[in-house]
Amino acid sequence: MITESTRIKMRELAGRYPNPRSALLPMLHLVQAEQDEVTTEGIAACAQELEITQAEVTAVATFYTMYKHSPVGKHHIGVCINTLCGLLGGDAVYDRVAERLGATHNGPSADGNFWLERIECQAACTHAPVMTVDWEFMDDVTPQSAVDVIDKLAAGEEVWSTRGPMIRDFQATEHTLAMAEDDLATIGNCVDEKMLAGLKIAKSGAQQ
Amino acid sequence: MPELPAAVRGFGVTFGTIFKKVVTEQYPEDSSKYPPKPRFHGRHQLNRWADGLEKCIGCELCAWACPADAIFVQGADNSDEERYSPGERYGRVYQINYTRCIFCGLCIEACPTRALTMTNEFELADNNRADLIYEKQDLLGPMLPGMLAPPHDMVPGTTDSDYYANKITGSVPQQSTPQQSTPQQGGVA
Amino acid sequence: MTIVNHNEKIDTVNVVIDGIEMEVPKGTLVIRAAEQIGIEIPRFCDHPLLTPVAACRACLIEIDGVPKPQPACAQVLSEGMNVRTQRSSEMARIAQEGVMEFLLVNHPLDCPVCDKGGECPLQNQAMTVGRPDSRFEGEKRTFPKPINVNAEILLDRERCVSCARCTRFAEEIAGDASLELLERGAQQQVGTANDEPFDSYFSGNVVQICPVGALTSASYRFRSRPFDLVSVPTTCEHCASGCSLRTDYRRGTVTRRLAWDDPEVNEDWSCDKGRFAFAYLANGRIESPLIRENGELRSASWPEAMHFAAAGLAAAGTSAVLVGGRATVEDAYAYSKFARIVLGTDNLDFRARASSTEEAEFLAAHVAGRKLDVTYTDIETASQVLLIGFEPEDESPILFLRLRKGVKRGVSVHTVGPLYSLGSEKLSAHWVKAKAGSEAHAISGLDSEIVGALDSNSIIFVGERAAASPGALSAVSRLGSQTGARIAWVPRRAGERGALDAGAIAGLLPGGRPISDPTARSEVAQAWNIDADSLPNVGLTGTELVTAIKQGSTSALVIAGVDPSDLPNGDELIAGIENADFVVALENHHSEITQRASVVFPVAVVTEKSGSFMNWEGRSKPFSAAFREALTLTDAGVLSMLASAMNVQLNGDTRALRKELNSLVPWSGPRTDVNNHEVHAPAGTTLATWRLLIDSGVMQEGEPHLAATARPSVVAVSAAMFEQLGKPEVITVTGPKGSITLPTQVAEVSNESVWLPMNSPESHIYAQLGCGYGQAVTVKGGAA
Repeated sequence: MITESTRIKMRELAGRYPNPRSALLPMLHLVQAEQDEVTTEGIAACAQELEITQAEVTAVATFYTMYKHSPVGKHHIGVCINTLCGLLGGDAVYDRVAERLGATHNGPSADGNFWLERIECQAACTHAPVMTVDWEFMDDVTPQSAVDVIDKLAAGEEVWSTRGPMIRDFQATEHTLAMAEDDLATIGNCVDEKMLAGLKIAKSGAQQ
Repeated sequence: MPELPAAVRGFGVTFGTIFKKVVTEQYPEDSSKYPPKPRFHGRHQLNRWADGLEKCIGCELCAWACPADAIFVQGADNSDEERYSPGERYGRVYQINYTRCIFCGLCIEACPTRALTMTNEFELADNNRADLIYEKQDLLGPMLPGMLAPPHDMVPGTTDSDYYANKITGSVPQQSTPQQSTPQQGGVA
Repeated sequence: MTIVNHNEKIDTVNVVIDGIEMEVPKGTLVIRAAEQIGIEIPRFCDHPLLTPVAACRACLIEIDGVPKPQPACAQVLSEGMNVRTQRSSEMARIAQEGVMEFLLVNHPLDCPVCDKGGECPLQNQAMTVGRPDSRFEGEKRTFPKPINVNAEILLDRERCVSCARCTRFAEEIAGDASLELLERGAQQQVGTANDEPFDSYFSGNVVQICPVGALTSASYRFRSRPFDLVSVPTTCEHCASGCSLRTDYRRGTVTRRLAWDDPEVNEDWSCDKGRFAFAYLANGRIESPLIRENGELRSASWPEAMHFAAAGLAAAGTSAVLVGGRATVEDAYAYSKFARIVLGTDNLDFRARASSTEEAEFLAAHVAGRKLDVTYTDIETASQVLLIGFEPEDESPILFLRLRKGVKRGVSVHTVGPLYSLGSEKLSAHWVKAKAGSEAHAISGLDSEIVGALDSNSIIFVGERAAASPGALSAVSRLGSQTGARIAWVPRRAGERGALDAGAIAGLLPGGRPISDPTARSEVAQAWNIDADSLPNVGLTGTELVTAIKQGSTSALVIAGVDPSDLPNGDELIAGIENADFVVALENHHSEITQRASVVFPVAVVTEKSGSFMNWEGRSKPFSAAFREALTLTDAGVLSMLASAMNVQLNGDTRALRKELNSLVPWSGPRTDVNNHEVHAPAGTTLATWRLLIDSGVMQEGEPHLAATARPSVVAVSAAMFEQLGKPEVITVTGPKGSITLPTQVAEVSNESVWLPMNSPESHIYAQLGCGYGQAVTVKGGAA
């Protein structure tokens, strides 16, 4: 259920923009944070708060793929299958993960605790192949390391992003996406030598 | 040699013909001996699928093609309770006016479901105009073995595409039971 | 360069399209300019009344100096632009062919079962600019079909080419943005939210503008093919907006109606009532004259019925004529003449609804004989618009659309009334809260800011409901003369404005001539070829007339198109008819009146006759008969025969009547201003009510899909009253006659009023409550 406290948060989000309608995207993330999916009720609540029609909200909620229309479960697993990740083993990672979870693209795992999705480029090609858990990076994964991560998550063990904070769960991440009030962005090494290598070469003029 | 009188000569043809084979066909007494050619354009027939559902979808393309404006069609909605043809639409009213029809066959060329074909039947004379307007029941093809008179459901588990792909071989017993409300048939597979 | 048009300088640009040099106003789109020189560029998403989106890409053209093809529907012409369409550019031709091939990738080949087949822009343009065959070999996308976007409109998503015409219409024109493009990419589809249908009074327009067969109507689905249909232009008979419509019929049956383009009135649109409510034209008609013999009605021949009626009317005492709102101008004029010449009476009224003497005075002073004082186009450029006793979305939907267009251009709307409706919201109107029945107070007490802003460029729209609010119309009249704002009266029924100008009301002769004025009398007498002295003196109207009928002082009645349940004192009228000496009814359907009439004549409906309606602007909207072979007589035809049976010659020919009426140019003599009427709002809670657009009206019968799109019947109360009543789920409203219990809706309502629909299922105000707009009612939480 969309509680009154959620509605207060929605109103706060709407107040952040000159045109309240701009708050629709974070509001939908907030609905996912509360309900693990974008429900009809959540759509109705957004429509009511922004004084737009439910159809207008549905149009947005179905356009963007980060909004799910059935329960995601505890964790969202994304495997990049775009050119570089795919070539460097992303496709193999995806296949193993899919097999481990018993899931297909953009669907829940057999036990309903995970959601698997083939994702598009995350701009992390230096660490390809890349997997995301609740949208946090798992760099340089192999089919085995990816499955290990999922096993740990399934067992409830602590898992850390290779360059970010500890993995919480999908709904917590969605809350962060809706209203980033924590300092999670500062945890971990966002940039490392490997990522800057190309930039350095370019700056040194070696390519000329 | 003196010529025979003209009157006698004239009988030569008569007597000669008496001994030739007769070409006159006795109609209607012997009509079964002389069937029309197989591709003769006769009375139309509205065909059925193997389970008895009508092929006509009421699209009116036959009426559109008709150069003599002899065909009148009115379509209607099939419903789950009352289904006459696979898919959504059927011909509720179908009339061919044989005082106008010129048997050109453009209608059967236009028919997208092969519902309309022509039989060899040519005996379409009558003594009044009204009876020459053939209604749907006059034009529908006969019920062959395995067919069931509509309205009834499609063969369970099939869609209209299966009918168009000619995959239906006959009716099944479930179709004769009173129609239960099935979820709306999905799009073409 | 500039062109001077109406003394207004317009900036122009010089361009070349397919080698043809043109000068067009600045800002013209390529596609519009090409149309002007007869070059047809294919299009799906383009619609002249919607904003360009370039969604379908069918209109790609080449512009010199631009490397890639550009969409003609969104490309504005600039100085020196050289445009080459598919006629002169290989690039454009190939681009258009490619787009067409893409559009057809997912489009099913189900033209034989599709309603659009035969009049389909996609079919036509695929034939003209498409490739002869497709290279696509995959599986086309499919969807479960059809789905309802509302009870009347069906959607076949696999046919959609995502042109967004329907969604743009819903948002931009109707203001009901509940139809949207959902999903993305190959799954993109039109749809509604899960539990919110496309709730709009204008939903039928999306069927008409859909360039493929994706949107169809339940009422026309599989009914016929375009080549079966005969199309005739008509004027809508459902309200005083005066929309031009197109009636399509097949073998004597109307199959559908569409909006006809009339830029000055309805542009390209119509409301759902005008579009879908036509089943009544054929269903349940009276087929032959009926006469009452030994208390029973029986069929009779026309001559027998005529003689019977003529003898009855001649024998009876003082008579009266009641004309409902369905009469055409010509028919109303015939009634006006028939009453004055044949019956020698001025007891005459066209207002089959709540009316008042104040209203009659107001109409004589401000409306009758004044044509095109305020027009639709004026709304777009008005400074302020004031709505008084008028709910445009329900009572004149096309006026509502024009108001929305005006609002988008900066017109500010104020609405004076007891309810801030959904329609007011869509007009972003400012609400001048008024207790129902005390609008007069609200008008005299208007903010000085609003009054100050009113000028000759402002428009005051008054609805017919203002008649039920004592003093309101005189207050409007005062406000008009005080500020110079123009006043427009918008009745609900199609025939009322015309009947007023035809003089079908006591006290007024045609053209707004006061019957008491000697000059006016002699002008009319001359046109009618009678002696001015033989014209009757001022007769009775409205409530007084009905009372006179009940009391028997008026004992003969000619009555047409009146439903007693529309009148606040309908019971009195029925009692009066039962007691009357002789009642002649001219009707097309049976009613409470025909059941009690002495003689009933069947008359033609709009499809069977020619005539004209005068819309609220005073614009004459003529139409001709759809079914020319129909043998039904018009009201005027029946009256003419009846007159001749009574030895009076009265021309019943529509064209002759129109000519004669037009010769009576509008009255330019003195008019009496509205008297200052006493203002008295009843104490306690008052009833606010009006007819919803889609309701239980008799002309909407026989179309269940349309009826299912009606708004629900509810009791609307303010939040404060809701609290006060103890937050009940249902509310009971009680009047003198009885009560109505309906679900509660908390809305922006005056705290001293309660709103109910006037004539919806479960809510028939006059019949159930026995009182009307602005009268006192008691309100109670819960069931009775």
